[in-house]
Formats: sequence, structure tokens, C-alpha cells
Amino acid sequence: MTEMVTLRVNGREHPCRAGIATTLLTVLRDQCELPGTKRGCNQGVCGACSVLVGGKPVRACLTLATDCEDREVTTIEGVGTPARPNAVQQALIDTGAVQCGFCTPGMVIAATALLEEHPDADIETIRQGLSSNLCRCSGYRKIVEAVSLAARRTAS
Amino acid sequence: MSGENEAGAVGQSIPRLEVREKTTGRAQYIADMSSPGMLHGAILQSPYAHARILSYDVSEALAMPGVVDVLTGDDLGDGRMGAFIKDEHAIAKHKVRYVGEPVAAVAAETETIARRAVRLIQIEYEELAAVLTPDEGLANDAPIIHEHLDDYIKVFPAVCGGNLVSRTELSQGDLDKGFAEADFIVEGTYETPAQAHLAIEPCGALAEMDASGRVTLWSANQSVFRVQANVCESLGLPMSKLRSLTPRIGGGFGNKMEAHVQPIVVALAMRTGRPVKLILSREEDFECVRARHPMRVRCKTGVRNDGTLVARDVEVLLDCGAYGDDSPGVLGYSLLMARGPYNIPNVRSVGRLVYTNKMRFGAFRGFGSPKVNFAGETQIDEIAEHLDMDPIDLRLKNIVATGDTWMGGSVLASCGLRECIDAAREASNWDQRDLPQTPGKRRGMGVACAAHISGLLGTGAIVRVLEDGSVALNTGAVDIGQGSDTVLTQMCAEALQVPVDGVSVASPDTDGSPYNWGTTASRVTYTTGRAVVGAAAEVERQLRDHAAEMMECSQEDLELRPGGLIGIKGVPGKQVSFHEISLRAHWRAGGPIVGHHTWVFDQPTIDPKRAVAHGLPFPQIGVYSFAAFVVEVEVDEASGKADVTRAWMAVDVGRAINPGSVEGQMEGGFVQGMGFALTEEMVWDDARLINPSLLDYKVPTTLDTPHELHTIIIEAAEPDGPFGAKGVGEIGLVPVPAAIANAITDACNIRLTTLPMKPERVLNAMEQAAHGS
Amino acid sequence: MMTQTMIAPETLEDALAAMHAEPGSMALAGGATLVAMMNAGLVEPNSLVALRHVDTLRGTRQLDDGGIELGAMRRHRETALETPFKDGQTVLSYAASQIANPTVRNMGTLGGSIAFNDPGADYPAALVAANATILIVGATGTREVSAEAFFVDWYTTALEAGELVAGVRVPAALVGSIGHYEKLARIAGDFAVASVALQVTWSGDSIAAARIAIGGSGPTPLHLAEADDMLIGTGADSDALSKAGLLLAQAADPVDDVRASADYRRKVIPRLLAKAMREIAPAREAA
Ligand SMILES: Cc1cc2nc3c(=O)[nH]c(=O)nc-3n(C[C@H](O)[C@H](O)[C@H](O)COP(=O)(O)OP(=O)(O)OC[C@H]3O[C@@H](n4cnc5c(N)ncnc54)[C@H](O)[C@@H]3O)c2cc1C
Ligand code: FES
Ligand code: FES
Repeated sequence: MTEMVTLRVNGREHPCRAGIATTLLTVLRDQCELPGTKRGCNQGVCGACSVLVGGKPVRACLTLATDCEDREVTTIEGVGTPARPNAVQQALIDTGAVQCGFCTPGMVIAATALLEEHPDADIETIRQGLSSNLCRCSGYRKIVEAVSLAARRTAS
Repeated sequence: MSGENEAGAVGQSIPRLEVREKTTGRAQYIADMSSPGMLHGAILQSPYAHARILSYDVSEALAMPGVVDVLTGDDLGDGRMGAFIKDEHAIAKHKVRYVGEPVAAVAAETETIARRAVRLIQIEYEELAAVLTPDEGLANDAPIIHEHLDDYIKVFPAVCGGNLVSRTELSQGDLDKGFAEADFIVEGTYETPAQAHLAIEPCGALAEMDASGRVTLWSANQSVFRVQANVCESLGLPMSKLRSLTPRIGGGFGNKMEAHVQPIVVALAMRTGRPVKLILSREEDFECVRARHPMRVRCKTGVRNDGTLVARDVEVLLDCGAYGDDSPGVLGYSLLMARGPYNIPNVRSVGRLVYTNKMRFGAFRGFGSPKVNFAGETQIDEIAEHLDMDPIDLRLKNIVATGDTWMGGSVLASCGLRECIDAAREASNWDQRDLPQTPGKRRGMGVACAAHISGLLGTGAIVRVLEDGSVALNTGAVDIGQGSDTVLTQMCAEALQVPVDGVSVASPDTDGSPYNWGTTASRVTYTTGRAVVGAAAEVERQLRDHAAEMMECSQEDLELRPGGLIGIKGVPGKQVSFHEISLRAHWRAGGPIVGHHTWVFDQPTIDPKRAVAHGLPFPQIGVYSFAAFVVEVEVDEASGKADVTRAWMAVDVGRAINPGSVEGQMEGGFVQGMGFALTEEMVWDDARLINPSLLDYKVPTTLDTPHELHTIIIEAAEPDGPFGAKGVGEIGLVPVPAAIANAITDACNIRLTTLPMKPERVLNAMEQAAHGS
Repeated sequence: MMTQTMIAPETLEDALAAMHAEPGSMALAGGATLVAMMNAGLVEPNSLVALRHVDTLRGTRQLDDGGIELGAMRRHRETALETPFKDGQTVLSYAASQIANPTVRNMGTLGGSIAFNDPGADYPAALVAANATILIVGATGTREVSAEAFFVDWYTTALEAGELVAGVRVPAALVGSIGHYEKLARIAGDFAVASVALQVTWSGDSIAAARIAIGGSGPTPLHLAEADDMLIGTGADSDALSKAGLLLAQAADPVDDVRASADYRRKVIPRLLAKAMREIAPAREAA
């Protein structure tokens, strides 16, 4: 009952097996060896599984793997590395916005997409843009500050 | 000692050591782990609140292709675990005691197979009458949830019987005399609901057995040692047969302190001989891990016309749920905090903890204190209103100060509460406040104070100097995301005057780390910090011994120099490096340098000359942090929905080892407390939890959270704290419900006594107030 | 067990044929509801027909009479931000912009939302207030149903088995009319506890036309012409508002659930109506 699908993730082809109910999240974590995308609820609410599909943020837990064949998927592993973090990641580091880190991959994806669309996002736009993602540790303020810092740094 | 010349030392807001791996998705949490040949586990949950298990039929599940093992209570011995009362098996045995309790488990080749297979297990039950509230549980004819409670092992002098798990009482002074002296008495009953911890990472574990039969266990936890104890007690294993380790932890607010699925996973791994991993779904996590206790508080406070608080009587009733877990501790602690940070001479606090057929309730940030704080701190405001005094002035008149005693009699060696209140008052412009008024909204400001302990139980640290002079720190304290790895490393670096990146920090491991009771009770910075400082001092002593011999000088002439050097005072060029010393120690003289320090907090909770205690679960507890919060709320007149618009949180942490981390704890605690105050509640329909999902159980998002969250750090150094530090993990949550409630009163002239203060409650009260006037 | 398949047709005809060929197959739009239900084990479709590749379902079309047709596969985000609504039609963009959160708005679709008809969803009341028409296609052709008639009961619509929502036609609103969607939710991004969708036209100091629909307070959106009429000719004074609001509250059929009690929902309906009127005051002055 599973079929082969080829996913394009972070610029690489990944041949995977997926059934009708297999989500992109499951395939990324269990078959593509990309566990950076987290599962916090499997119901679309927490945002820990956020990835970019065609450059836009989606919930990987609500996206079926077989529905992704023609689409470019970007996960947290594809947006920056420990040695070369992207602007959002660097700002999160510098602001001390990360605590347990479980929400962080999803936050980075959401914020990266947000700044792509609104490079000069102000605090209110950032609060709106990050409202897709739950964080239970930080109280959000430092995350919002970090994204604002990333926006300002990119602008200058 | 000052850290100015070393990057990252005490007092600096350096980034988390592991922040790069976390921001780039490389951090490994329990769900990310795997092992060759690994099986996947799944649990079957009880459909009944209270039932006898008559029989199991696992044949169909076992026959399913890919299923390797099915575990039920019949497969296990009679071992029981529990932090205070050993009342819980690894998996339900003989009886189920709440809807959702794990009653069987499967290990299979894939998670999908395991989850399908559990549904094929047939269990025959005989349903029993259930107890759903503490009041029901205390009734004379109540069904008994634990028939053998009397026989269970208890680690404290529990006063128990029937469904009563424990009754604790603290008192000091003369209550009757106190109330007789009072000119005015406020009295009220306060109800608070169950709150879900909702760490974004669900709980899970991975266990594997080696050829000798020894098990290695990785799990989402707050203490590798509590995990080890719980698994070994419940499965009847010697501790030597289990090694407990930790990956990165995706948040823990008390929910990962005691066991969740670890005993089940270990049992499956031992039976199958293969690695087994089991990760709970969010719904299962909601239903069977643990939550904050539903609680009822009766509080009565007496005051003289001049504002002197003279008496307080508090009675709490705590819903324990089906198992004891940390609940006796939560009860005792709430009673210890019931007086609040005030010098009230005549106080009695008494509480009962009652088994019910609901999920177990346990430790949650604040440990009982937020609820008594809600009662006590809103009563202070009621008194202020009655006396026509400013609520801050009334507090200032009564607060404790350095040298005073806490409830029970332990002496406060440091107390910056007055400074906190002054700072919050000033920053919030409390005295000249002129709140913006928007049509359709009402604004108000409220204040609340709190205190929280930092010291209890045992901990240790080992510091070693490696051959090249690097320093290796090992404490056994699990960093659950709050940042203890970083803070303990900063302390170690400061103590030895080396840069932070010259210190490595070991991941907790019951095989190699010194004991640490756990990352809980705001205790790691203070207790483990002291162990780190002690171990570093021991290392320094050994380094000095070597240096004295190497440079042929006396000990007194030596000084520690930044960068891993010991030099001769006043002679700039004359020094030896840790590297040189360590080579000598390793290869020629003295042996490798290892310093260790272990200790247990031993300051008595109760001074028998001042107070009387019965059924107290923790005889030694203390060292207090303090806080004063001012919040501003805006209430929507149409719906009654209250939003926090700004908050000022002044907190006395003794010494902020990492100020950025202190802010992070305060902000995170605030928002979790705001959820508790305004929206969060677990709701049961009869015995069934009806909102065990994130769609139905709602926590604040960015848009529900004020961006103006101001943390003001006050440093009233604790004399024996590491660099003066005290804890900060929980105090950010404790006064939040009361401060918000007081702000809502200020805005709308209503007083709510039940949490959450959801729109419906606010609106109903506003209507009543309007009709009443 | 039947072979489980995912079909990704490129035309509406092929989609309908695929739905027909495999009984029990379900349309997959954004997946934001369907996949969540599959994850929870609530539905186990043996075949899915993904509508994502059907181009004709994605666009919008402006009609000569000022109406707009929206394809079923319009994402909430597009409806909120990228649709040229005019006058009171904006009730839809206000509603769309308050659905869930930005990421879910980037996934969920108009068709998926209304086909599911969650009583706490935001489109139903907004579509009723906008007097929209639902465009339905089936094996035997197309049909049109007014939004008011489309939402039938709890999670039930006028769709027959094998039919699909092709889109929605939003008629031109009166020139100068104002659209607004007032949503009350426990926290940002939650389904509505209750909501008020409206289109109001002012003539000088009094209301010339009004259309009000209540969401979240019963199996389907609530619209009462009588309540609309009570506002017409008034200056939206508190008396008129509370009369209309009370009428709506009495007619509402809410239930107790984790979001709120039925009593509370009844209580807030008139209040939300009044609040909505206050909120549009600036737009009215500008108009
Ligand atoms: C976290 C979260 C929060 C949410 N909050 C809100 C909210 O505040 N307000 C709100 O209104 N909604 C909310 N939603 C629901 C969201 O708007 C969904 O996207 C929507 O209900 C379903 O749209 P979809 O395109 O994802 O449909 P799908 O999930 O793909 O499908 C839903 C159902 O409709 C059927 N279907 C889909 N398209 C068609 C069609 N063209 N014709 C016939 N049947 C079709 C499917 O077969 C399925 O039964 C929320 C969802 C999530 C996950
Ligand atoms: S795991 Fe996908 S949103 Fe929570
Ligand atoms: S840092 Fe822990 S959930 Fe955000």
C-alpha cells in the first residue's frame, strides 16, 4: 500500500516510500534523515513541524508526502548550518532567545519566510507572523526581538 | 571576584552553549534517536476511570505481523514507585484508576503496527464506582482507590487513610488571639483548575539491553537519577542494572521530573532483547503524563486598622489524581508559602490531598504556590481597598526583610523584596499612572509579590583538569532548556578564571555523574552551583599545590590568573599554566587533578521553637528568591476578555549569573502564568478529559502575549549562594494570576476567585457588579 | 483492503470522474482539516483526489456586475490579502485574515473550509453576510446554492456525495457599504467562540441597508431578515442594536463546549454586534 515518491528536499532528491496517509513530517524524519523538523502535536497547531514548500511555510504534519512530489521542500537543515547560520538563526543566538529549542526549527522557518516577504517587518508584523508557532519556554519576547534584529541587520 | 577579564564569566549574558545546534535543527531530542534493530512501542489506555482488570487476551495483537511483544500488568512483579508514597506500578496491574492510564503496551517493528496492534488487545474489566473530586473521595462511603495505602512505603510521616493521601499542617503563633486582635478580616474560597504543562516536546523514551542484561535508557526527563530510581523501583531492578542518560530536553515544567513511560519501555526492551522506543502522541501526553493539581483554597486574613497583618488561616484541598507522585510535596510546599512574604505572627495552614480517579497530578512550575499566592495576594488587595491604602504601601508595611524568618522559622539570609517592590513601582509609574483609555475597553493595574525556594536535597559536581589544561565539568544536572549547562559552566569558568570555552560540560549519566536530585524546585543554580564552586575550589587547591612545588614558593604567594594560569603575586612573568601543571600531575607527580564536592541541603524547614508541623514531606528546605510584579490589563467590555498589555517583573535572584537567562525564565514563566490565569484549564466530562489536544486546550501565542515584558533584576546576594546566586526557575509564574486578578479588579471593580479568569467569568461578574450598583 | 491511492487530476472533469470511480474517495484541498483528522484516526479514506492541480479552481474572476467569483482552491491567505473586494464584500477578507494563523492560512482553502462546515469556522457567517452563492459541480452538472441554504447542520452542507465545491460567487455589495467581521476567540488563531459578520450601508445618519450573520453559535450561521430590518432606519443607537442583538441571541442555537458555554454565547451576541458597529465607525466616517 505504499508507493515510491521522490521528494526534493533542500535541493536534493530523496526517494521515499509513502502510503496515502503518510505525512511529509513522517517521511522527513524517518526516511530522509532530517529530524530537525519536530513533531509537537501532529494536528497543525504547534508549528514545530513548519517547513517551506515552494518557498511558503506549511505544516509538514498536515501535508501528505504523496502530495509533494512536484514541490521544492526546505527544512531547517536547509536554511543554515551551525557554522553558517542564516540571519534569523544568528539573531536568535545573539538575543538569547532559545531555551529548550524544540520550537526553534519551526520558528526559524516561520521567521525566515516572514522576512522574505516583509524584509522590513516591524514588531507588530513579526508578532503576527510568528503567531503560527507555539513556544512554551520563552514567553516570545526575545524571539520577536531576535527577528526584529535580523530584519534590521539585513536592511543595513 | 569579577568576571570582567574573561569572556563569558559570571554576570554576562552569553548565549547558550548549545544554541547553534538548536537553531539549526541539529539538537537531538528523544524522538530523534534511534538504535539498530529498534522496535517501536505503543500504549493502550484505560477506557474506565476505576475498574478491576479481570483478564487480558493479547493473542490477536501478538498474531499481527510485525508485533514482537505485548506487555500487561500480569507480566510484571509487584514493584511500586513514587517520590513520596510508593503507590504506582510500571503499568496498571489488577486495577485501572483513571481514564487514559496505560494498561498494556506493544513493541513492534514500526510505530504504525504498534499503534494498530494495541487496539487488538482485549481486556475484560469489572467497572467500579469512581471518585471524581476530593470531596467525593473524603465521603464516608467513598469507593477506595488504593486498598493497600497503609502498606505502601512512604518516605515521610504521612497522615493518611481511605482516599486521604496526606494531611499536613503548619502553624505558628496563636491564631485565635491573632484574629481577636484584628480590626478587619477578609475571607474567601478560591478555586484553580488543572493546567497542562505542555512542553512542546511530548514525552518518550528509548531503552536497550546489552549482552550482560544491563539496560541503557534515554528519555525526556528532568533528572536521570529520578528516572533510574522510578524504573528500578517499579520493575524490581537493582540500580546497578540500569544506566539512565539524557538527550536534549524539549522543555520540562515538572512534567518530566518523575516517571512517564520509562518503566514500560525498559520492560519491553528487557523482554524483547531489542532496543525499544516509545514516543507519546500529544493526546496521550495530555492524558497520562501529569498536570497541575486542581485546588481549592480557603483563606482568611486579619489586619489591624493601621495595616498590620496579624493572622492568616489557610486551608487547601488538593486533587491528587490516581497516584501520589510529587503531590505530598506540592501540598506541603503550598502550606509553607501560604503566609506569603509577610511577617504575619499568627498563622495556620492546613491541607489535605485526596486520591481521585483522574490522571495523576504532580509538580508544575510553582509547586502549589501560585494557587495560595492567588488567594493570599488578592486578599491583600481587598484589605488595602477596605483600609483605603495603596496596595503597595500595605505590602511594604508587612514584608519580610533580611534576618526575618519564613513561615516555619527558617531565617532569611538575604531578601531583596523591598527593592523589588520599589523598582516595580517606579518602572511601572505606579504612583502617577495615567492609563490610556480606549473606548470599549477598561484598563487597570495590579500588583503581587511572591517568594520561592532554591535550596533542597542532594547534589554534586566533579571538576577535572584535562592533560592540556582544559576543564571538564560533570554535575548530573539535566538542562531541560532553562540553561543550567551554560550557567554552571559560567560559574566553573569564573571560579577557575578560565574562558567558558575552556570548560566542557558532561551530559548527565547515572554511570558517571554525581547524584543530582533533579532540575526542579528552582534549585540547580543554587544547589548545584554550590557544588560546582566547591569542586572548583578543590581543583584550585590541587593546582596550587603543584604550582607551589613547581615554582618553589609558598602557597600564600600564589594567585589564580585569568586564562588558566597560576602565578606568583607581584611578579607578572612568573607563572605556570594549567597545561603544565596537568601534564605534571598526569605523568609525574600527584595524579590527575580531580575535584569534587557533594552536599545535601540541611537547613531545617521548621524551627520547633517557632512553629509546629505535622505530616511535613520535606524537613529541610529554604533559601528564598523574591519578586514583585506589576501588570497592566485591558478588559474588553463587550466580551469580558482580559489581555495583559504590559508587565514589570522585579526579581531578587541574589546574583544573576547570566542576566539574559534570568530574563528568559521570567518572561517564559510570566506567559505560562498568564495562560493559567486567563485561558488554560483541563476540563473533564465526568471521568473523561475532554480537551486533550492543542486544538481544544489553548496556550498563549505571540498575539496573546504583551511585548512589553520588563524584567528588573535585583541582586540581594545569598551569603552561601554560588557568587550570591539564588533560583529563578519558578518565581516568574507564581505571582502572575494574583497580579492579573488585582489588575482586573482595578479595571472593572470586580473580584474573581476562580481561575481561569476567562471572558465568561469576567463578563458575568461585570454584569453582577453593574446590577448590584 | 482496497488499494489506497492519491490521484492528482488537472481538470475538474477528471477530478469528478476520479471521485466517482472510487466510492469513498475524498477531495484533498489544503489538508489542514483532512490530514489532521487522518492523523487522529478519525477518517481513513481509501482514495484521495488532490485538487491542487486543477487550475480553474484557483483563480478569481471579476464579473461585469461587480460580483467576484472565487475558486474553491483559493487559500485563506489569498482571500485575505490578494482579492479585489469592494465595499461590503470586504467582510470576506476580514474573515479570512482572522482564520487560524499565517501558516494555516497559507494551506487552507475556501472550498475545504466550507465543505467541512466547522461551526466555529469563519467563512460561513461571512459568506452569508455577503449573500454569496456556492457553486457546486457534480457528475451531472453544476448547480448553485445560496450560502444560507448551503450550510445545513453541524458539519453538514448541501453537498451530495461525489459533488465538489467549485467556488463561490460574491455579489456586488451596495456602493459605500461597509463589511466587517468581528471574531471572539479564546486566543489568537482559535476557532470562534462567536462571531458577527456584517454588511452595513449608511445613508447620512441612519442605516439604509444591513445584513448580519452570526457565527460560532449553532450548527449553521444565523441570519434573520427581521434583525436586519430592526436596524434599518436607525442610527445604530444602543437601543436598536440591543433589540436586534437580543432577537439574534434568542434565535441562536449554541451548545456548551470547551470554548464557552451556550449561555455565554447568547450573552455576547448582542455585545459583539454593538462592538462591530463601533469598530466600523471610522470606516463610516471615511465613506
Ligand atoms: C491549527 C488550525 C487552526 C484553525 N483555525 C481556524 C479558524 O480559526 N477558523 C476557521 O475557519 N478555520 C480554521 N481552521 C480550519 C482551516 O481553515 C482549514 O484549512 C479548513 O477548514 C479546511 O480547508 P482545507 O483546504 O485545508 O481542506 P481539507 O482539509 O483539504 O478538506 C476538508 C474537508 O473538505 C473536503 N473538501 C475539500 N475541498 C473540497 C471541495 N472543493 N469540494 C468538496 N469538498 C471538499 C475534504 O474532502 C475534507 O472532507 C484551522 C485549522 C487548523 C489546522
Ligand atoms: S506537529 Fe505539526 S503543527 Fe504541531
Ligand atoms: S524554546 Fe522551548 S518551546 Fe520554545
